[in-house]
Amino acid sequence: MDVTARQHHPATIVSVSGSIDSLTVERLTEFLAEQIGSGRTNLVLDLAQVNFMSSAGLRAILAAFKEVRQPGGDLRIAAAQPGVLKVLKMAGFTNILKSFDTTDEAVASFS
Amino acid sequence: MSKLFRIARAAEFESLTAFREFIDTTCAPLAGVDEALLYDLKLAVDEACSNIIKHGYAGMNPGSVILTIAPQPDRVVMTITDFGRAFEPSPLPAPDVDAALGGAELGGFGLYFIYQTMDEVDYETTEDGNHLTLIRRIPHSRPS
Repeated sequence: MDVTARQHHPATIVSVSGSIDSLTVERLTEFLAEQIGSGRTNLVLDLAQVNFMSSAGLRAILAAFKEVRQPGGDLRIAAAQPGVLKVLKMAGFTNILKSFDTTDEAVASFS
Repeated sequence: MSKLFRIARAAEFESLTAFREFIDTTCAPLAGVDEALLYDLKLAVDEACSNIIKHGYAGMNPGSVILTIAPQPDRVVMTITDFGRAFEPSPLPAPDVDAALGGAELGGFGLYFIYQTMDEVDYETTEDGNHLTLIRRIPHSRPS
């Protein structure tokens, strides 16, 4: 799994690639915490290149979502592939998180 | 008797990728198995193996986890064998995300996903280990 961040005013796009499972989730959790710790609380989680995500990924997403909401930010999902989107839906996450087909749409939603 | 495919790996998170790749290699060529079904198979096995590694072998030297796949014309039968603590799964209601937002610990998704994605879940403990059998029907498949 690889994870990178880039600024795209007014949001920060966190792009993940590869698999989010019990092995890799810790790195994602730490990376998101670093971003939030640096004051980046409008996050777009770009999942376009994620080919697999288990329930481990949900814990990372929920932890970051709770953190960004405290100072009034938000975490929004972008470009999740069908399997990953199904995981988010089964867990009820699509009821609490906004999800967009593209990162551009997710970034624009912060304006 | 249908052909059996088998992979054994150490009970550690580093093995999860190998199990998922094994499912890809074994099941992707099967008639009627599309990307969505393949994802469900990988998700159920990943969740079950994660639970075994995290809880079944907790406090013990990591033993092994064995995955066997028996493809049949109308179903995929997967059996996961481990030698850790027995843990009989049972169907759970959907975890409460709203409660988790309020601070409650978020858990139980692994088992919930297994029961959501599989048609049958069976568990048996014998002298030869714990055996979790996961069965998923292949829709619209014709016997070959």
